[in-house]
Amino acid sequence: MVDSLFYFFAAMMLAAALFVVVSRNPVNSAMGMILALVGVGANFFLLDAPFLGVLQILVYAGAVMVLFLFIIMLLDVDQAAKIPVPWTTVLFGLVLLAVFSGAVWWLVNGADALPTPENVSATPAALPGAENPGAFTSGAKSFGYSLFTKYMLPVQIAGFLLLIAMIGVVTLSKKQKQA
Amino acid sequence: MEIGLHHFVTLASLLFVIGLVGVLVRRNTLVIYMCLEMMLSAATLALVAFSRYNNTMDGAIFVFFIITVAAAEVAVGLALIVALFRRRETVMVDELKELKH
Amino acid sequence: MNAYYSELFSFHLPEVILTGGALLVLAADLLLGKFSSEPVRRALAALLGMLAMGFAAEALSPYLRGDTSALGQLCLLGLSGLTLLLIAGTSRLRHPAEHVALTLFATVGFSLMVTANNLLLVFLAFELSSITLYILAGFDKSSPASAEAALKYFLYGSVAAAFLLFGFSLLYGLTGEIELAELGAKLSVLPASPLLVIAWIMILAGFGYKAAAAPFHLWAPDAYQGAPAPSAALIAAGSKLAGMLLLVRLFAEIGFSPLGPALQTALALLIAASLLLGNVAALVQSNFRRLLAYSAIGHAGIVLLMIGIAPADPQMAFGDVLYYLLTYGLASVGAFGVAAVLEANDARGQKLSDFAGLWQRSPFLTICLLVFILSLAGVPPLAGFFAKFNAFYDVLGSLDSAALTSSPFFWLVLLAIAMSAVALYYYLQVLKQAFIAPAEETRPLRIALPATTALLFAAAGIVLLGIFPEHFLRLLF
Repeated sequence: MVDSLFYFFAAMMLAAALFVVVSRNPVNSAMGMILALVGVGANFFLLDAPFLGVLQILVYAGAVMVLFLFIIMLLDVDQAAKIPVPWTTVLFGLVLLAVFSGAVWWLVNGADALPTPENVSATPAALPGAENPGAFTSGAKSFGYSLFTKYMLPVQIAGFLLLIAMIGVVTLSKKQKQA
Repeated sequence: MEIGLHHFVTLASLLFVIGLVGVLVRRNTLVIYMCLEMMLSAATLALVAFSRYNNTMDGAIFVFFIITVAAAEVAVGLALIVALFRRRETVMVDELKELKH
Repeated sequence: MNAYYSELFSFHLPEVILTGGALLVLAADLLLGKFSSEPVRRALAALLGMLAMGFAAEALSPYLRGDTSALGQLCLLGLSGLTLLLIAGTSRLRHPAEHVALTLFATVGFSLMVTANNLLLVFLAFELSSITLYILAGFDKSSPASAEAALKYFLYGSVAAAFLLFGFSLLYGLTGEIELAELGAKLSVLPASPLLVIAWIMILAGFGYKAAAAPFHLWAPDAYQGAPAPSAALIAAGSKLAGMLLLVRLFAEIGFSPLGPALQTALALLIAASLLLGNVAALVQSNFRRLLAYSAIGHAGIVLLMIGIAPADPQMAFGDVLYYLLTYGLASVGAFGVAAVLEANDARGQKLSDFAGLWQRSPFLTICLLVFILSLAGVPPLAGFFAKFNAFYDVLGSLDSAALTSSPFFWLVLLAIAMSAVALYYYLQVLKQAFIAPAEETRPLRIALPATTALLFAAAGIVLLGIFPEHFLRLLF
């Protein structure tokens, strides 16, 4: 069951990703992108990380891609769709894809390329004042626990990162008053 | 064949490669940026797979932060694209030739 | 607040102060900005920003002896402080409070990059500084060039971030650790696998972008040319220093023990490409800022050369890179400052020919330019010369003296020395314009007080670091 689901979602994700690259119209690209991101989210579910899967679909495939679509519609650029794509670009793309994919295949499926789970021990360091939840769990509880103990500093940094993005977007998009 | 770490890492690497090819061949900044997001997503998929098979939580939590950072970066990136469009009326990289000596 | 939180708080006190300062700048502008004119708002924001920098430096001072990363943070604060003075002294841009606040946030990112001890923090600090710098590069909303520069910087930066992240995920996958120290311990017993090589090459690509090393340099000339001068100075000085100190630490902690030769070859190619491309392309530039960008690519080659010895002697590499990029940073902030003063006066200061007759218009500015340019070129007794000499000396000293000529680094040092001679030619072109070329414009230049202060500090720093390097180096070793 898991096998067939994996192959289904993997095929969907890669097909959608290729569609993003080859599609002439940015709106179609965005639609393909949403499908590809849902595929990534589905793979998170298969990897026993349902919390991240939901997050991926809500934030990425939902909010972020809606923002993309919004901007595409706002700018309303379709002059690109009319320019013919030179065959050199197509050839270049195909050659790149073939070379890189071959390299990936050779790398990942070569002998001893990846460690097997057995040779990696999982003994995270203890936290000050609390025992470590440590091992991989699927529940959202372990996220919450880690975020407010071991990962306190990253949470703060990520918060300020969002603040910076907000300040930046407001200043960049505010209309210049004619002085 | 049993689905294992190899499958997920291969899948993530292929997604990364497709994104990279898109960045290199496309000329529309919006599509380039989508392909960039695809590369980031590929990295998150690899991280979750490694996290699952290494049996530590770090990778999964890393992904949590990547999703946050990517959302912030998308906001800034799209604001820059819009700001450029307002002044130059284009989103194509070929037409960005203001900056030459 | 439990013990862990307060420990975290006191360890990151400088960053906390800077963040608080940034929020204060924004709040003060929100409350008082309505009642005051643009110059007053800018002065107030810069003043508050400088105060925050001062307090952050004060918080660092107890750790300066014996802790080299604290010294690195202090140098970053200094460079960012000079950038703030440039904002106060030369900028005419709107939203001064946001400009200052974002500069402070970028400094927080730099500071975190120097102290980060796990991959997650490294990534977040990298992104914190990058995202802030994208916004700063596009801050001049009246100029299409600024928007274009920001977009290019952003697109290349995002590619670099994606590469860095995939490299990190491979490192994590191979070891199951994100703490740098434990990661290094596990990596050192792992056999060299092709995946590890790929991971390191991806990480090098990510940092190559930060350093503007060829072939990841394509954003640099455009960003240097199009970004507002203070932002360009920050990108050239602070961002580069922070990124390279971080790379030294990564190399030192998780070194290249299992795959020495493969990674050394990759690094050597990067160095050779940067040295050649940067210095040769700079010869034909007629735009001052593009010239600085290409010369920066050449300098990146020398910095990577020093980073090559980091696994053998991390302490020495850290000190050398810090000294080199501090002097380089002071000189480039100064050079951008001179260009910014010209732009503030004439509305142009990009072309080399805009510098014609500078000596008649402002001897002070010309003397400063002389110091900065000669330091970049590496002419004694300025700090740039000593930094370069130190770099070459230490790199050669770390090589095996019996098999000197078989090491690629030996030949790279020779190449770097040869390229320094080439560099002298294009640097002197700038000085020729400033001192000899007849003036088209003879109006004397007006320099605002903060800009004067920034230029004076930068020039004095270069001269003092050049004449008394031992006082600085004593803190390091």
